[in-house]
Order: sequence, then structure tokens, then C-alpha cells
Amino acid sequence: MTDSTIIVLITLIIVLPIIMTPVIFFASRYSERLRNSLAVITSGLTFALTIALYPAAVQGNVVQQTLFEILPRLELSIRFDILSFCLAAISSFIWFLCTIYSLDYMAKEHACSRYYPVLILALGSCQGIYFAGDFFSLFVFFELMSLIAYILVIHEETEEAMRAGYKYLVMTIIGGLALFFGIIIVFELGGTVSLGVGSIIQETSFLALIAFICFLIGFGMKAGMFPLHVWLPDAHPVAPSPASALLSGVMLKTGAYGLLRVIFHVFSVDLMLSGGWDTILGVLAVITILLGSAVALTQTDIKRRLAYSSISQLGYILLGMSILNDNAITGAVFHIFSHAFMKSILFLAAGAIIWKTGIRKIADMRGIGRQMPVTMGCFSVAALAMIGIPPLNGFLSKWTLSLGALDAGMPFYVLVLLISSLLNALYYLPIIIPAFFDVPGGEDHGTGDQHEIKFNIKEATPGMLSPLVILAICTLVFGLTPNNIVFILSRLTSAFLLLGGAL
Amino acid sequence: MELLRNIADNYYYMVAVVLFVIGMYTMLTHSNMIKKVIAMNIMDTSVFLLFVSVGYLSGGRAPIVDEGLSAAAYANPLPGALMLTGIVVAVSVTAYALSLVVKIYRYYGTCDYDEITDIRSRE
Amino acid sequence: MGPLEHLPVLMVVIFFCGAFLMPLLFRWARPICAPLMVAILAAALVMAIIILQSVYQLGPQLYHLGGWPPPWGIELKVDLLRVYMLLVLFVISLWIFIYALRDLGNELKEELIGWYYTLYALLVGSMAGIALTNDLFNLFVMMEICAITACAIISIKEDRECLEASFKYLILSAMGTGCFLLGVAMLYMATGYLNYDYLHGSLVEAIALYPRNLLLAAALFIVAFGTKAALFPLHVWLPDAHASAPSPSSAMLSGLVIKIYAFALLIVFYEVFPAEMLQGVPLNEIILWLGSLGAMFGSIYAMLQTDLKKMLAFSSIGQIGYIFMGIGFNHEMALIGGLYHVGVHAVTKAMLFMAAGVIIYATGVRKISDMDGIGRNLPLTMAAFAVGSASMIGLPGTGGLISKWYLSLGALEMGRPFFVIIILISSLLNAVYYMPIVINAFLYHGEFQFRVKPVPRVMLATLIFGMIVIIISGVFSRPAVVLLEDAVSRFF
Repeated sequence: MTDSTIIVLITLIIVLPIIMTPVIFFASRYSERLRNSLAVITSGLTFALTIALYPAAVQGNVVQQTLFEILPRLELSIRFDILSFCLAAISSFIWFLCTIYSLDYMAKEHACSRYYPVLILALGSCQGIYFAGDFFSLFVFFELMSLIAYILVIHEETEEAMRAGYKYLVMTIIGGLALFFGIIIVFELGGTVSLGVGSIIQETSFLALIAFICFLIGFGMKAGMFPLHVWLPDAHPVAPSPASALLSGVMLKTGAYGLLRVIFHVFSVDLMLSGGWDTILGVLAVITILLGSAVALTQTDIKRRLAYSSISQLGYILLGMSILNDNAITGAVFHIFSHAFMKSILFLAAGAIIWKTGIRKIADMRGIGRQMPVTMGCFSVAALAMIGIPPLNGFLSKWTLSLGALDAGMPFYVLVLLISSLLNALYYLPIIIPAFFDVPGGEDHGTGDQHEIKFNIKEATPGMLSPLVILAICTLVFGLTPNNIVFILSRLTSAFLLLGGAL
Repeated sequence: MELLRNIADNYYYMVAVVLFVIGMYTMLTHSNMIKKVIAMNIMDTSVFLLFVSVGYLSGGRAPIVDEGLSAAAYANPLPGALMLTGIVVAVSVTAYALSLVVKIYRYYGTCDYDEITDIRSRE
Repeated sequence: MGPLEHLPVLMVVIFFCGAFLMPLLFRWARPICAPLMVAILAAALVMAIIILQSVYQLGPQLYHLGGWPPPWGIELKVDLLRVYMLLVLFVISLWIFIYALRDLGNELKEELIGWYYTLYALLVGSMAGIALTNDLFNLFVMMEICAITACAIISIKEDRECLEASFKYLILSAMGTGCFLLGVAMLYMATGYLNYDYLHGSLVEAIALYPRNLLLAAALFIVAFGTKAALFPLHVWLPDAHASAPSPSSAMLSGLVIKIYAFALLIVFYEVFPAEMLQGVPLNEIILWLGSLGAMFGSIYAMLQTDLKKMLAFSSIGQIGYIFMGIGFNHEMALIGGLYHVGVHAVTKAMLFMAAGVIIYATGVRKISDMDGIGRNLPLTMAAFAVGSASMIGLPGTGGLISKWYLSLGALEMGRPFFVIIILISSLLNAVYYMPIVINAFLYHGEFQFRVKPVPRVMLATLIFGMIVIIISGVFSRPAVVLLEDAVSRFF
């Protein structure tokens, strides 16, 4: 694939959803069907275009192209490499499925003519983040996506949603300003913010440390890193379920992606190690993992529990980044994929349950597996993957991460992973087991009248189930052996990054 | 001693500065609007005095050019000319300020800022 | 050269002639008043563009008024810096005027409109004069015209708040002028010149002879321009004046008038005072600190306001702080940032005041808490408000980001990351008070409680123009920045 083809494709991937946003908005005035099908077609097309880049990614093509200069030495540019491809592919895939899922889920909701354009615009800006060729463009798309996600968060417009949204917005702006500070320091020290240069900052200094901390705040806030995670458990549950799935499954990863770029493009592995900055990241990651898992245990609302679980899972990715060797980075990248699959299933399944029955409390979900076997089946697959049961992809990422930790001579991290897995089991199994093996309503509930004992199946619509099933299959397929496409891509990405990641 | 002589030599500067400070103080602290306007004039006048005194040459003639006299014999005409402009400006500002005071008086029946604040807080 | 030679003075004189004609025409030929004003403003803009071209070709030019050479005569100067200011000035005043055509009928009595045009022309002309002049005394005269007309476009509304606010403004402004004139006297005593270039030349020597006089003069200038531009502790007059004025006047005052004084301070400090003087005493530091305090406190006060226009006025105090920071850093990058912010904030704040004006026009609502849900009734207006807010916060894609970028870069180049943090905190505070308005306007769960009058298309068109300019200034900022780089490079 030639460079120019790649550039055209990338530009299309970014521009298509952004152009389609107003089209979808105006289409909604004429017909809902037209609007919905346009949304699905746009996200599907974006996914298809992204996948078309696969051969270029595997061949190791790297393309960097300046679009135009905003200021002297500061430009808007796009870039393609294997890391961009991985993130763009997984997010457009999940986006596509979530859009399909939305068709039925959102049919009951209000303000759909706002929801779909916003969803598609968020897709465009998300792809923009991944294909940005320098930190400034990345920052622009990052802010755009964050602000647009606000509209998804407060979609319900309830009091609770508005409060969560405001918290999210303030945190986003703090993060954005921190990023701005970080980028400007990099520009000051290195004279460029392009991703095509390799390590922009060559030596440690006070300013460089400030820059690192600023990036950590900016991207870590998005990735739900302790202590900046406070917005996440409020914001993710209040959004409509497909949006929660996207927020947790995909948009969190933009933070992780940004940090990967910072570590390998602004600084370098040697700089991180010599400054001891990997330790900062490592400590924060460990706290994030343990704290997320522990707090998830105490949650009674299913979506809140899932949101806290996201925090701890993002901790794995950060942990992988802090270890900085081949296996660990592979694990981190692979976990970006795995977590996207798993958490989307969990949120979409929870959404299906809420949609069908209105139940949000975990205690009320006894026996629901008998009424909605497919939904709960998928949920269980994802939950087991989270815990790290072998044939599923969660196991593979944890295994690789542990290998990385052992390679680096840090068995303590393996212990953390094990403890976290145990905690995962403690908060996921009490959802799954009663769902299948208890009778609806529950015997210990004296007042079980509202849930009568019924075994008739009342699943959600096929439109909502099919994304779930597809994702569940992915969880299984990409976990069976390390010889699958996703794992190979992760390996290649890790090798590419550790080589310096530049042109 | 030298300080005193300096002051004595430059007494007109001192006068100008004293006037300036009187004007500024009154303008900022007095609550009566008419007094504020007067103080504004005092302040402006002090600067005019200073300017004109800069151009004055003791024993110098008015700057009407005669044959045979060197330029050093004349007082500097420029500050005087400038101050004429300055006075015109000050007059117009004063007129405008007074017209505002009249209008405010029509609304409140007083020219005193404190009383106006009282009236407004009672409403 | 031919007639083109006289363009610099024409840009000022055309307004003064227009100002004299307006009341007469308004009595006998009312329909041609507004088109004539538009024509004058447009003509001035065209002249500024022609001058920009000739400055690019021939370099800076001097114009001797009446043919009298300096140091006796008045001299006007056109260089890139001044032309930039003039372009900002004319574009925005034309734009605000078009808006005012429809809004004034709502705010003023019919027979006063002709006088309003007079004042408007005088105000724009005097600001052009402030930007163009190369002579301190001429600057004084222009500043006085500007001060009187600026007060008058507030008090023309003739309600109690306006009269009081404009009296307060006039008195403080007169104090500023007094200080300025005293400072001019000091410089004149030391050197005997009033022309910037001559002053600059002889100050280099005079600084050794009269160090105290000159320092006093510099301090007086800071007070004078600081009062007029609402630099932080001297800002007390601004909130009342800008909030109570008719909306086009507010837009004009917040958008341009305070900027022109900041610009005059910049010119005096960089063109008149020799660089050695600023090194001896930390005058720059004072401006820098006052600017950053303004950026913080202006935003904090703005958060506490319940009246929309008051909030916008306090926000101006914060934003002018950025401009003074840009002047105070004494670094090329920061100065570019400050100057760019002059333009960006002029557009943004003018547009925000216009949006507020449209809201008042259509609904009569002034309180922020009454504006919940207004976005459904006035979508375009609130969209403009949202874009303006984004620029105030400095979100990417708006001009606010570019000026913050350069300001921060300058701060870092000077090795003072602390001030970057101040800029960022102030941006965050801006977000905290602008965002809820936008959010509640669009996403409030309920109906807007007030009756909504239809808004004239011209007003909406001006808002759309503002949005476009803000976005262009954030995306295609390169030409303006390159122009500014050329303009300020001679100072460093």
C-alpha cells in the first residue's frame, strides 16, 4: 500500500464521521429510519476503512503527513503506524456494534436526534486522536472528544446525570489545561511536538518532569487513573448503556494511548528508567488496580460496579506501560483490546437487562439468567474473562503482563495482579451465580411479589443480542491461543514502540 | 542644606505637586460630586502650571521674533501652546461632568455619592 | 504617492468630519445617516488595508501633520504594529455598528440615535488617533476625546445606573489623564521633546541625569493607562460602566476601548522608554504581577455575579490581565500572545456582549439564573455564546488558545513556568463560570419561562460573523501571527 493511499484512507476515516454528523442531524428531521441507517452505515464504513489499513500496519508502514500549519512550527498533521491502527480498529469495531445496539436500545429514549450525530462525531474525533501526527492535533481531537462525550454522559438530563456531567466537565477541562501545559513545555524544550521525531526530550530536567506530570494528569484523568478517577464512576453509569460501553470500553483507552505516545515519543524508555518516572507510573497503577477492585466490591448498582471495574482494568494497562519491556507492553496493548471487548459486553448486557426489566440493583438480578440466557451468558463469558479464566482473552493479557513483570524482576506486580483477579472474582461471581442458579425474586426475600417465579424467556431484541454475541465470540477466539491476529498485532506494536517508535 | 536649596530653587514644581496631590485626594475621597469636579480641575491646573513653568525663562521675552535676538532670549512657546489645548480639553471635560451631575441631581435630589448610595440601598 | 500619502491622517479625520455631519443629517436627511456611517467605517477599513500593503512594500512611514516637521509638528506613524491595531479597530467597530443599527432603537430614544452616531464616530476616530500618533501630547488629546465619548455612549441611555456609572468612569478617567499629563511634563522637563522618536533618542542620555524623574514618569504612565484599561486594582469603574451601558456600547467599551489603552502603554513602554530603564527597576514585573492578579481576581469576581452583563464585564478585567501579562514579560513570544489576545478578546467579548444584547432584546432577561433553557428559543444566539465561552476558556479551535499558547511560551522562555500555571488556573475559572450558562441554556430540563420576541436577521448575522472570526482566528492564525512577529521583532 502506498503512502498516499494510506493518507487518503486516514483522512477519510477522520473526515467521514465528522461530515456525516450534520447530515445525520438533518436527516433526523425527515425520517428516523434514515437517521438510524445513516448512523450505522457511517460507523460501519469507518470500521471497514480502518480494517482496510491492516496490510499496511502489518508491513510496518509508518506515514507522517502535515496538513497545514496553524502557527509557525506548529501544525495539524496525521500519522499512521501500527499503534494507531490497533486503537483505531478496536474502537471503530466497538463503535459499529454499539451503534447497531443503540438502534433498539435508544428507540425508547428521548432526544435521539441529538444522540446519533453526537455519537458519530465522537467516533470521528476518537479516530482523530489515534491518527493525529503530533501532540497538538492529538490535543485538539482529545478535547473535542471529551467535550462531545459530555453530551453523551448527560443524555438522560436527570439531576444525577447533570451533576455527574458537571464533575466530568470540570475534570476534563483541568485535564485539558494540564495537557496544554505539558505540550507547551515539550514545544519549549524540544522545539516540536511532532510524533515523527522519536524522543523529543533527550534529558531529564525539572521542566521535563513537570511535563511528564502534566501528561500524567491530562491523559491519566481520561484513563481513570488514581487519584483522578473521581469523575468516572459517576459519569459512566448515568450515560445510556451503549454510550457507557463506549465511554468505558473505548474512550478511556484514549488516555492510555496518549500515555503510550508520551512515554515513547516525548521521552524514551531510557529516560523513563533513568529518571525513575516508571516508578511513579507503577505506583499509581498499583493503587488504581487495587482501589478500583476494592471499591467495586462495595457497589450495589451494576453499572457503578462495572465502572469501578474499568478503573482497575485501566490500572493493568498503566502497569504494563510502567514496566517497559517487551512482554509488558504487549500485555498492555493486548489488554486494551481485551478490555474493550469485555467491558463493552458487560455494559451492553447490563443495558439489555435494564432495558428489558428496569433492574439496576445487583441484588434484584437473581435468576435473571433463566429469563435472559443469552444476555447473561455473554455477561458471564466477559466476567470470567475479567477474572482471568484461561481460555478467554483476559487470561492471556494477565499472563503476558505477569511474564513482563517477571522479566523485569518485579514479582510484586504479579502478586498485585493475582490479588486483583481474586477481587474481580469476588465481585463478578456474586452477579453470575445467583443469576443462573437462584430463583427469580429470591427465597430470602419475603416481599418477592414483584418478581414472580417465572421461567419464560424474555430476551432483548436480536438487534441488541447480536453485538453481544459477536463480542463474546471475540473474547473467546482471541483468548484461545496466543496465535491470533490481535495478539500478533500487540506483539508487533510492542516491538515497534520499543524500537523507538519514530519514522 | 542642599536639599532645601533645591526645593527653594524649584518651588514651582513643589507647588504643582502639592496642588496635584490635593486635587487627587479630594477627587478620590470626597463624596460630593461638585467637589470632585472642582478637584479634577485643581489637578489639571497643577499640571498646566508645571508645564508652563517648564517653558518659562526668567527674564525671557515673549516669543515674538525680533531681528537680532538669539533664540535663547525667548521663553519656550511650545508648553504654553500645548497648555492652551489642555485647558480647552479640561473645560470640556468639566462641562460634561457638570452636566452629568445635573442629571444625577434630577434623579436623586442630591449631589452626594454617599446619600445616593443610601437612597439606592433603601429601594 | 499622490493622495495615498495622506491616508494616515484621513483615517482619523474622516471620523471627525462624520461626527460633525451626523446630527445635521439626522435632522434633515435621516435615512442616509446609518449608510453614511457604515461607509465611513468601511472606507477607514479599506484605507487601513491599503496602508498595510504599502507598509509591507515600503516599511514604516511617518506623516507630518500640516507639513510641520517634528519636533514641533504632530507626527503620525504607520508601522505593522499600528496597522494591526487599526485593522482590529475598524473591523470590530464596523461590525458592532451594524449590530447597533437594530439594537439601538430598543435601548435609546429615537431622537438620540443621531447623537449616538456622532459619539460613535468620535470614539472610533480618537482610538485610531491613539493608535497612529507618534506624539505624546497628541496622544493626550486623543485620550481625552476617547474618554469623554466613552463616558457619553454610556450616559446617553440616561437612566440612573448609566449616569452614575459614567460619572464614576469620568472621574477615574480624569485622574488617569491627570497622571498621564504629569508624566508627560516630567518627560518634557527632562528632554524637551514630545515626539516618540526624539524622546527615545534623548532619553538614553537623560536617564543618567534624571533617573528619578523618568521613573516617576513611568510609574505615572502605569497608573494612567492602568486606570483607563482597568488593570487590576484600578478596575473599580469598569463593572458598572460596562454592565449598565447599552449593549453596543458595552461591546465597544469592553472590546476596544480598554484595549487601546493597553496598546498605548505598550507603545510608550517599548517605543519611548529605552530598554536600560526597564532593566534597572522592575517596572515590567509590576505590570506582570498586576496583570496576573487581574487575570485571577477578575475571574473570581466574575464567578460571583448574577447579572449576565456584569459577569462579562468582570471577565474583561481578567482578560485584560492577560494582555498586560503579555506586555510585562518583556519577551517576543509573550508580546505576540498579548497582542493577539487584543484582537481575539476584542472579537470574543464584543460578540458575547452582543449575544447578551440579543438576549435582552428578545426576552428582557438579564439574570443568569433566568436563562435556563433559553437555548431552545434562541439557538443561534446561545451557540454564539458557547463559541465565545470556548474562546474565553481557550479550547482548541478558538483564538483564545493561540494567545494562551504564545503567552505561555513566552513565560516558559523567560523561565517562569509559575505564570503559565496562573494562566491555566484563570482559564479553569473562566470555564467554571461560562460553562454552566451554556449547559443550562441548552440542556435545562424544562421550559424557558419568558416570552421571546423574534430577533432581527441583521443581529443574528453579526453573531454568525463573530463565530466565524473566532474560529478562523483559532485555526488559520498563521498570517496574523507572522504579521505580529514582524511587527514586534524590532523591540527585541
